[in-house]
Amino acid sequence: MLEIGLIFRALMRNKIGALLIALQIALTLAIMVNAIFMIQDRNVQMSRPSGLDESNTFYLTNTVFGENYNLQAALQTDLQKLRNMDGIDNAIQINAVPLSDGGWSMGLAREPGEDKNSVGTAIYMVDEHGIDTLGVNLIAGQNFTQQDIAWRGAQDTKWPPKAIVTKALATSLFPDDWQSAVGKTVFISKDQPMQIIGIVEQLQAPWNGWSGVERSTLVPSQLESKSAKYFIRTEAGRRDEMMAAVEKFLSESDKQRIIRQVMTVEDTRKQSYQQHIATNKILTTVIITLTMITAFGIVGLAIFSINRRTKQIGTRRALGATQWQIMRYFMVENFMISAVGVTIGAIGAIALNYWLVNTFQIDPISIDLIIYGVIALFIVGQLAVFYPAKRASLISPATATRTT
Amino acid sequence: MLEMKNINKIFQTADVQTHALRDFNLTVNEGDFVSVTGPSGSGKTTFLNIAGLLETYTSGDFYLDGQNVGMLNDSGRSKMRNQKIGFVFQGFNLIPDLNLFYNVDVPLRYRGFNAKERKQRIEENLARVGLASRMKHVPSQLSGGQQQRVAIARALATDPRFLLADEPTGNLDSEMADGVMSLLEDINKQGTTIIMVTHDPELALRASRRIQVKDGRVSELDIVAEKALA
Ligand SMILES: Nc1ncnc2c1ncn2[C@@H]1O[C@H](COP(=O)(O)OP(=O)(O)OP(=O)(O)O)[C@@H](O)[C@H]1O
Ligand SMILES: [Mg+2]
Repeated sequence: MLEIGLIFRALMRNKIGALLIALQIALTLAIMVNAIFMIQDRNVQMSRPSGLDESNTFYLTNTVFGENYNLQAALQTDLQKLRNMDGIDNAIQINAVPLSDGGWSMGLAREPGEDKNSVGTAIYMVDEHGIDTLGVNLIAGQNFTQQDIAWRGAQDTKWPPKAIVTKALATSLFPDDWQSAVGKTVFISKDQPMQIIGIVEQLQAPWNGWSGVERSTLVPSQLESKSAKYFIRTEAGRRDEMMAAVEKFLSESDKQRIIRQVMTVEDTRKQSYQQHIATNKILTTVIITLTMITAFGIVGLAIFSINRRTKQIGTRRALGATQWQIMRYFMVENFMISAVGVTIGAIGAIALNYWLVNTFQIDPISIDLIIYGVIALFIVGQLAVFYPAKRASLISPATATRTT
Repeated sequence: MLEMKNINKIFQTADVQTHALRDFNLTVNEGDFVSVTGPSGSGKTTFLNIAGLLETYTSGDFYLDGQNVGMLNDSGRSKMRNQKIGFVFQGFNLIPDLNLFYNVDVPLRYRGFNAKERKQRIEENLARVGLASRMKHVPSQLSGGQQQRVAIARALATDPRFLLADEPTGNLDSEMADGVMSLLEDINKQGTTIIMVTHDPELALRASRRIQVKDGRVSELDIVAEKALA
């Protein structure tokens, strides 16, 4: 006999406290579910692969200050020596690094001319070692050859005639059949033709919050610049060791330049998602705090109502209630308060989400998450009420006669 | 039958030991109406609480309906209270949030009766105490005498062998007290054994058997001595 009817009647005569707790549970559920949803959304974003061999790559900035310096020769020497170094798999110069927040973007269109529907893409300038050094996966067409690589000066506006694009970009350009992109000519900078010669599976743009983050283009250009980024892939597990070695080697081999900003891709990812990580921490804190406040509220209300009903509890014991029956009374009572709370809360969660969807263009929440939230709060309620209920069950039946 | 042999009860608090019952010996037979009198602090409530299994005792033997109470754990005592004992308190101890119907329902639910049987017992017992028409009222809408009648209905609803009452008329004026006493007499006539603690010598006299507790010890009062007192 769960006494549900009797507990409900007793509750109805002391509505205020119970109602406040129910509302607190409702608020907690509504906020908790939406906060978890936002955390999950960020986690999904953060877990998207960049396409790079993240654990074995790093990059650095090589800044030349020498006058009359032969940039082309020095770059080629550097790359040659790096590629031959023990512990290094491959090395390139690149204009920008995925997720680093700095880079180039252009529009690609299927037809030449102004006002043509163009698709935005990040641009990475690499040589024929690009695909291997980045660790991206060529899934159609072919790589650049050495003959494809052309020098590009700081003032150049001319684009090379070949390009490799990501699958996402190929899909945006050719929605019906991304594989058909290989061999097609697209136009950059209004009317310069570029032939797509290959497709890579994945390579993210430098900007994680951009809707086109999966759209990137590799072009066979070697920049001639006094500030160059070298991107280096090491043998598995030797990254940290090689970072120090490379920095030392480059600094010592040529005194007319300095090596700066030696950084792993993993750290770049962390930096890139710093705000996400911080926001998730705040949201987690909010969830935990709210849940704890609610739990303490439940404990408080239960202790208050048990203290107020000491004599009644003693009387119930005198009338034959076992300790377990007393405990169960308060646990069922809490369950009923929680039921009201989570019902209001579930509606509130959906309403709050509806508002968030309309205001911030986020996705609608999944029902599963609400169900998990409801279950979690029922459990929190039962755990919170357990101690007061246990205390109530230990009230002596003699309380019925001993107190007035 | 209720049988206490050499029951001792010692309350142990931080620095005081109270010997509330000393070698308490008592046998109450089926159908008895026992009144218990004695000075304040003499141990009457302690005796009644032990008799009603609300409290445990320190030493001695206690048999209720042939069952050795000392062998029972808390849950066993709870069940025995529910099955064999009805309690009536000085302060009525009704549950203020529940109407009369549901107040009487409380012990019946602990017993596990089905809804139909509970309803029948509730109506029957509220009728027995003359309050069938007030079922939907909450305790605060009743007079003290009426509340005590509800408490008696609640105590009787489970068909207990023993009805234990600790100063059931202590909070009532003499007219209401008389009404409650008459009700108890009727109940006793119908076969329920009653043990009633009271301060009122006139009410005590109406019981078929009178005992006195003094300093934790029990003694029988004979009618003559008592009449002289009265
Ligand atoms: N829980 C307790 N802890 C300590 N001492 C107690 C406790 N309950 C009762 N006592 C003591 O036991 C003795 C007997 O108390 P009891 O309540 O049985 O007396 P009583 O005869 O019912 O008195 P009254 O007529 O005032 O109700 C008293 O000295 C009392 O102070
Ligand atoms: Mg007393």
